[in-house]
Amino acid sequence: MTTALLSLAALLLGGAWMAAVMDRLAVAWISGRPAARAFVEPLARAAGLLLRQPVTTERPDATGRVLAPALYLALAAIGLSVVPVAEGVVLTDLSTGIVLWGACEALTVVVVFLHGWSANAPLPLIGAYRYVAIALPTLLLSMFVLIAAALPAESLSVTAIVDSQREVWNVVRQPPGLVLFLMLGLALTFRGPFDYADPEDLAGGTAAETSGPARAAWQAARLCMLVAVAGMASAVFLGGPLGPWLPGPLWLVLKMVAVLALLVAATHLLARLPPSRMLTALWVVLLPAAFLDLVLVGVELLL
Amino acid sequence: MMGFTATDALFAALSLAAVVAGWRVFATDSMVRASFLLLLSFLAVAGILLLLAAPYIGIATIFMMAVEMMVMAVFMVMFMMNPAGLNPMMMVHQHRLSIAAGVIAFLGLSAAVLLSDLPDDPVDPARPVVRDLGHELLGPSMLVFETAGITLLATMIAAVVLASRPGRYGPSDEGSRPPGLVPGGEPAGRKPEDDQGEGGGHHHHHHHH
Repeated sequence: MTTALLSLAALLLGGAWMAAVMDRLAVAWISGRPAARAFVEPLARAAGLLLRQPVTTERPDATGRVLAPALYLALAAIGLSVVPVAEGVVLTDLSTGIVLWGACEALTVVVVFLHGWSANAPLPLIGAYRYVAIALPTLLLSMFVLIAAALPAESLSVTAIVDSQREVWNVVRQPPGLVLFLMLGLALTFRGPFDYADPEDLAGGTAAETSGPARAAWQAARLCMLVAVAGMASAVFLGGPLGPWLPGPLWLVLKMVAVLALLVAATHLLARLPPSRMLTALWVVLLPAAFLDLVLVGVELLL
Repeated sequence: MMGFTATDALFAALSLAAVVAGWRVFATDSMVRASFLLLLSFLAVAGILLLLAAPYIGIATIFMMAVEMMVMAVFMVMFMMNPAGLNPMMMVHQHRLSIAAGVIAFLGLSAAVLLSDLPDDPVDPARPVVRDLGHELLGPSMLVFETAGITLLATMIAAVVLASRPGRYGPSDEGSRPPGLVPGGEPAGRKPEDDQGEGGGHHHHHHHH
């Protein structure tokens, strides 16, 4: 229990810092600028945000504004807590682990909406409504691919899903699943091609009127959620802590770093579709694709 | 009533949270707040289900209610006259009737709980309850389950179709006009196209005054 709790905290904090560093390395690599300060810059920026004055808007929903960053951070931690860090070491060992993860996904949409809505200001509000429209169908994608990943294990427990990948990882059995799940990861953290909540065209969207410690907490929560997504993707599609030669936790960390690198690359290399076109793409192309993935896995298991 | 365990304390706290949040739904003045307070009430109920050793139904309740209340908030704001949902508005109507209905329902349900002989049969922790539920839903209860699902979906679609045509200021597909800003004055908002505008739909003239 204590081991699992400590490793969860280490994974979240270390992973969030690492993701922020990767973001800066990616920008430096694309723009051809030196990346000498990439390792300390995230910490310096966090300190800068913490020291900045908090601003307030006209008649905000004060409770929602305070709660949103804290809840987002809590959802990232709860989501990651179902991932086994080593064989048999998992903080929340539920028989319905992936349903709990799904509940965290759904509540994330609520919390991001709350963040934008509670400011009572135009740009955050547009970000909030736009996010709900895009994130809800993206949520359905992940439901199909997670059920497909649970089928070979015949269990909803993440530990059992990891165990079912001893012979072959799920990414080999059902490669579209990982791709669709990573899309959901980008949507949960509103990054790159799925940045509909806090984008530049809305001057920061739901966070446009947030500054100071609340802004720092919001940015940290986004990074922590990205780490949680990497952890879940590693456990469900890449066999989690399973692997030869090296100890289990190290395997998990290596896989999470690889998934983080993929997510960061997608953030900086892929363009964002206009919201209405993305909505069409989600309902018309991606959702049927996710359903097809589930059907194929089912047929393959029956044969 | 011997031995007040931690589970009892948790049950009492969750029940209280569910009731208080449910009451606040009717006391708040914003549709978005009302939706999220109702969500809070359902989350407390989900906690009670988890205490009852129903891990799948408990967590699925959290998941379903989060999505449903979010959709409800967005739809209520879309269909009602409160832009964004932060403006204060009265959340209740037909006060006397609803109070009477609420009191009668509460008394009836309380009587049912107190008078019926409830089983006291704790679930064996080793029992595969999630598997049992899956077999039940996809076996004997499949027809009931699927019928209920399709009926609910049809109801939702029909409700949206019925609600979306008669718009706020007349039929929404016939170019409705909002009321004036002063009694009997010019209609507020954007002016509809001139009479021949119906044909050339993609020309938008903006009239500035």
